[in-house]
Amino acid sequence: MASAASPGFQYDVSEAAGVKVAHREVAGPTTTLALVAKAGARYQPFPGLSDALEYFAFKTTLKRSALRINREVELLGGEVSSTNSRENVVLKAKFLSSDLPYFAELLAEVASQTKYPAHELKEVVLGLLRYKQQAFASNSEAVALDAAHGVAFHRGLGETLTPTNAVFDKYLSADAIAEFAKEAYAKSNIALVASGSNSAELSKWVGEFFKELPTGSAKESPASKYFGGEQRIASKAGSSLVIAFPGSSAFGTAGYKPEASVLAALLGGESNIKWTPGFSLLAQATQGFSQLRASTQNLAYSDAGLFTVSLSGQAGQIAAAGKNVVEIVKKTAAGDVSSETIKKAVALAKFRALESVQTLETGIEATGSGLINGSKPYQIGEIAKAIEGVTEQQVKEAAKTFLSGKASVAAVGDLFQLPYAEDLGLTV
Amino acid sequence: MMPLAQWYTDAAGYRRLGLRFDDLIPEENDVVQTALKRLPPKEAYDRVFRIRRAFQCSISHTLLPKEEQTKPEEDVEYLSPIIREVEKEFKERKDLDALIVKRK
Repeated sequence: MASAASPGFQYDVSEAAGVKVAHREVAGPTTTLALVAKAGARYQPFPGLSDALEYFAFKTTLKRSALRINREVELLGGEVSSTNSRENVVLKAKFLSSDLPYFAELLAEVASQTKYPAHELKEVVLGLLRYKQQAFASNSEAVALDAAHGVAFHRGLGETLTPTNAVFDKYLSADAIAEFAKEAYAKSNIALVASGSNSAELSKWVGEFFKELPTGSAKESPASKYFGGEQRIASKAGSSLVIAFPGSSAFGTAGYKPEASVLAALLGGESNIKWTPGFSLLAQATQGFSQLRASTQNLAYSDAGLFTVSLSGQAGQIAAAGKNVVEIVKKTAAGDVSSETIKKAVALAKFRALESVQTLETGIEATGSGLINGSKPYQIGEIAKAIEGVTEQQVKEAAKTFLSGKASVAAVGDLFQLPYAEDLGLTV
Repeated sequence: MMPLAQWYTDAAGYRRLGLRFDDLIPEENDVVQTALKRLPPKEAYDRVFRIRRAFQCSISHTLLPKEEQTKPEEDVEYLSPIIREVEKEFKERKDLDALIVKRK
């Protein structure tokens, strides 16, 4: 447990000017400061608002223009970016530690004083949104994953990440975005995550610049409910099949089941080591398929999770591999997997969980999301302990519930060859 | 001076063709083109209507009937504020491009 003991990777939680701040002190000349807001696709009142909010980040504010922000950041040598996910919008700034006051002010200004003018929506943001839609539509795996979320959760978490709705711009207006932003960037809906600089400095500047943010009320979304079902979408962009089951929610929430991540590592499909298929059951079973990519993930959200097996590549091979997936789940449920393999899966799951917290890119959103949703931020020691404690029996039980419950299956691409859930032996 | 100015603009004659002063701004340049794109849809429609009506009057060598002519209180700036905003943006870009940074 060397990793848990090292203080640098543990986030300290504090509050400055009513804003929750998670901070870890890492020695080094640069700092990353991120604002995580509860404004993802799940919380948007109309389709596309979350994406629009993402693209409106670092645009014209009451104090300065988008161009000026751009040039100033260039001069200071920083990097600003924004992303959105099903639950959050993340504004991120990376910079030299001495520039902390400037970037803390910038993030506060973006959150509270962005102008959202109608012409910027028309000239800049809508264009970017259309490109995002095109990129999304030409990625069959993303479309399948999105469709699987849709059939699994319907509304809320099932809301599409990129509005595929052909009439989405009907709902987009500058006023609606401004209104949504005011709620989304209220103190109760945001958390700041910082990695790097001195914590006294951080709380001083955050306290100074973020005090003007409205307090607001916490955004609520109806609790996620799992439905399951099947969706088939014809597409020219290649073939993909996503088989999904109810998974584990994020660490620290009631629905956290460490065995889901172990099972994900056990099914696997991708190898972590070069020139070998690896130990994972799916990779072993699909060894002969040269035009297939398989991967298994447990996508954890604040109150639900989705356990997904994604297969993409040549449609005929996907159909064959789809059968393999179900066979493997059946085998696992029957306890036909050697304990040695399960031990390997536990080790891999533990590595992945710890690695994702340690890496800034994934750690920031997970930590921020944990803070906004009232639970604690990721505690490395506890995660490791939870995953280590997973027994063979638990893994077996998890696989059994997959088979007894309803699955969510999304097929995108060449529907003539892609199988129905019924053909694979799944109930939907 | 105001009465004289009013008499002068009236004498310019564009109001008798149903135009507003902002309709006369030459639009063959980037600034005004950008500003025109930013007009709200209703304003843009009305502008085109006024210009076409004036064009018809000009062809037929007639003036509009008195009640259809632009009244002084209707002759408001609707495009100029947007033009000023766009000019400011363009100027800012130019200034920032020509910026010389003095580091402390």
